[in-house]
Order: sequence, then structure tokens, then C-alpha cells
Amino acid sequence: MKKNDHYLGFGLGLRTEHFQQVLETRPPLDWFEVISENFMVAGGKPKHYLHEIRQHYPMVMHGVSLSIGSTDPLNYDYLRQLKTLINELQPEWISDHLCFTGAHGINSHDLLPVPYNEEALQHIVDRISQVQDFLGQQILIENPTSYITFKESDMSEWVFIDEMAKRADCHILLDINNIYVSARNHGFDPQDYLTGISPKYVRQFHLAGHTDYGDYVIDTHDQPIVDPVWDLYRDAVSRFGLVSTMIERDDNIPVLDDLLSELDIARKISDSVISNSITSET
Amino acid sequence: MEKLSLHQIQHQLMDFLIKDDQTIEQEIMTQGNVDNKTRLNIYKNAYFSRLRDVIDTDHEVLGLYLGDKLFEQMVAGYIKINPSNNTSLRQYADKLPDYLQQFPPFSEHPILSELAHFERMLLTAFDAQEADRFNRQSLQEIPHENWPTMSFRLHPSVQICQFQWSTVESWQALKAKKNPEQAVKSPKQWLLWRNSERLTEFRSLEFVEQHLIDMLLHGNDFSSLCDYLLEINTDEDASNVALSYILKWVDQGILRQ
Repeated sequence: MKKNDHYLGFGLGLRTEHFQQVLETRPPLDWFEVISENFMVAGGKPKHYLHEIRQHYPMVMHGVSLSIGSTDPLNYDYLRQLKTLINELQPEWISDHLCFTGAHGINSHDLLPVPYNEEALQHIVDRISQVQDFLGQQILIENPTSYITFKESDMSEWVFIDEMAKRADCHILLDINNIYVSARNHGFDPQDYLTGISPKYVRQFHLAGHTDYGDYVIDTHDQPIVDPVWDLYRDAVSRFGLVSTMIERDDNIPVLDDLLSELDIARKISDSVISNSITSET
Repeated sequence: MEKLSLHQIQHQLMDFLIKDDQTIEQEIMTQGNVDNKTRLNIYKNAYFSRLRDVIDTDHEVLGLYLGDKLFEQMVAGYIKINPSNNTSLRQYADKLPDYLQQFPPFSEHPILSELAHFERMLLTAFDAQEADRFNRQSLQEIPHENWPTMSFRLHPSVQICQFQWSTVESWQALKAKKNPEQAVKSPKQWLLWRNSERLTEFRSLEFVEQHLIDMLLHGNDFSSLCDYLLEINTDEDASNVALSYILKWVDQGILRQ
């Protein structure tokens, strides 16, 4: 089983509720992901904790405001702030989402979908290249959750995202829960998604919980991960090998020990897939 | 039917979120058991609740003062006329004090705008820039001959404001889970800052101290502070009084290196 050259192990999203405990107990996890925008401030307590914790753990930065799909001009004020934080934190990598967050200067603060067609693809590829040139590094783009499909789409999300990574020479942050949520909302087979993505582009996995309304599912990040998402994670490890994996929890945040237990499930699934793979190879 | 460009699709979706323009619905494919209105409303609900949560988090005490019904009325009114134009949600409610001052029924109670203003200042102090502070040791290291021309600077988190009403007293009562007294006129100057433990503090300012801090803000040196104190008080040694203020500010972490 191939190990990703940038493999970090198993991590969590760093949340303010856990700052103190992380510093005092140094919990057994391999890395943290931080939301870039939460620390694009001049100073104060959260940023102080961030730098303290950074001394003990590798970090990656995950953004929500790049708006890579927007037809508004790239926001270079934002990119400059991002670059400043990158210089301060020296993260292993940075990521954002395949989406647009606003238009005509108005920000929705949401990850809004783009149509999957050639016009959007080339637009996004060009902007990823500009961002990578400005930041001086490759970035990771995450597959979104979505609730609508535009009539203007003429390719699947997995074909779009794989081609995007190829043309823009960027990496993919594959959110396993997002694949599950979008598959339920749009009626596609999540296995088609996994097989449509080239392993060479995938550098990170996200895992998260959602809220199931029966006919549709909303990506709320406020619940434990459900069994079908664990099953899909197992399939993802089988296809993509050892990929840095973390759990995103953004609301209804439990005690750190609960998230560490959930992370252990991911670790066990991954270990089991990898050891089975080694056994079958020998 | 001619396909819409990426630009047109994005503007239609934003117009749906901000202006409730339904045109985008025609561009959505029908899928499964969930109708397109329900699908689109997932985005609209998320847009509103995200902005609402920011106001709720930033203005916890204002929310307690207003009560649930008026708070929701304020949130709905504010979001309707204030789409976000910043990448950070940190600034989203910056115009809330102005909104409360302008729009009834909130404008009929001026303490509301002041409460919102006070909470925004607490936020500003909370994440203001870091800076090394003066301490007593660094004061002692100032050569004697440099004292007269020494200009002290305030920590970046320091803010001064004047409230006309019993705003801070009401904020303190609500924070302590007590009912606030009825709002009364009570003009006062307030000083807010983030201390060396990174905790936000505030206190009221008497006129003399407020004037001295104003002088610091305008770059006046130590001898100018002494001159002012000499003008208003001939009974005490002005330099000792000025020094006692400096020591108080140093101990409270208000002065930066």
C-alpha cells in the first residue's frame, strides 16, 4: 500500500474550546487543522494559543474565503493576509473549497456551488494558478457539499475536480462526508466518485458528521460521523492508501476525549485496510 | 434555452440570497423527492443563520437586554439592509450601533446603540495587535535626563469612549445575570484595554486622567503632562502626580514599549 509522501497521520480541527486542554495535556494526535480566517487578526488570546500549540503539533491551514470559483476578481487583500499567516505558522499545506462565496463584492459566507462545465473549469484552473503563483506553493481544493445541480452542468463533480487538479497542478482535499452528503442529495453512487478521482492528487481526507432529514442531508458538522461515512472512508483508504485524515467538528462541540475516540475509529479502519492490503500483497 | 454564463449564475444565486429574487430556480435541475425551492432554501437558511449567529455571539449582552423577540426583530432588520462585504465575519456587525441609533423601535432607546458600541469595543480590544508593554523595570531603565522628553504610547488595544447613559452599568448587571436598573443619563468616559494576561478590562475615567491620556494620544511628552498638572493643581508636586499616573498605567498594562 502506497504511503503518501506528505502523510501526517490523524488530526483534528483545532477549536477554541480545546485550546487549554491541548496545551496542558498534549493529547495523542498527530496534527491540527486550523481555520485560516479565525486567526487573520492582529493579536489576542486565540492567536497566542495558536502559536503556543503550533510549537507542539504540525498544522495545516484550511480557508473558507478564497472564493476560487467567483467571477469577482481575486481578493488580493485576503491573499496577503493569508500569506502573512502562512509565514507565521509555516503550515504543512493550505486548502480551501471548490465553490464561490460571493459576487459583486457581497459575501454570502457560504460555500456556494458552481456549475460543472468547461467555462467554470477553466476559470477555476486559471485562478488556482494565480493563487499558487502568489503564495508560492501548491494548494489543496476540497470537494464541496451541494444541494442543487445547475442545468448548465454537463459533467460530474468528480470528473470536474480530477480535471481541475490535473490542469491547475494542485492537490485535492477529499471530504468523505461531503461525498456521502452530495451523493444522497443528488442520487449518485459515491463509489463512482471515489473511482473517478486519481489517487496522485489526494493529499488529505476530511471526516465529519451531518444532519439527515430523510429526503436530503445537510452538512452540519455538529454530529458524530455515521456508519455509512465510515464505510466510505474504508473504501477511500482502499483506493487512495494512507492519506492524512482529520475530523471536522464545527458546532455542538464535544469534549476533546470524544473527538479523540472518534479519531481512533478512523485510525483502526485505516490500520485494518492497510494490514489487509499488505497481507493480500504478500 | 440559452445557457447562462458562470457570472450570470452567480449573480442570480446571490440575488436569491440577498434580495429573494427567485430567477435562479429556473436554472436548477429537478432531482429526486426534494423540490427546488426546498433545495435553494437550504442555502438561504444557512446564509441567514450564519449572520444571525455572528450577531448573537458578538452581542450576547445586547441580546439579553432586548429579549428574544426584539433581538430577532433587530437581527432580521439588520441583515436585510446590511449584506456582508467583508471576507471576515468579524466585521459583520460593525454597523449595528448605527443601525440601532437610526431605526425604530430601537432608536427610541439610545442605550441600545451604546450597548452595541461597548460590545464592539470589547471585541476590538480582544484581538488588537500585540505589543511589548512597559513594566516598572523598563521605567527604571529610562535615563534621568530623558524623562522630560519621554513620550509614552498606549497599547494597541486601548480605546476610549464616552457614553451618555448607564450603559456599562447595565452591561455589567446583565453579565452577572442580574436585571439592569432602568437606563438613566449618566455621561462618563470609559477606558478599555486588553491586559498582559490577555483579558479585556475597562474602567471609568475621571476628567484629569482622561485629559492626560488624550495628551499621550497626541504625542505629548512627560514634561507636558507635568505642565498640565501644574496648571490645574498647585498643591502637589506635578512630576510626582504625573509619575503616579504613569505607574498606574504601567501596572495595568496600558503603556507599550
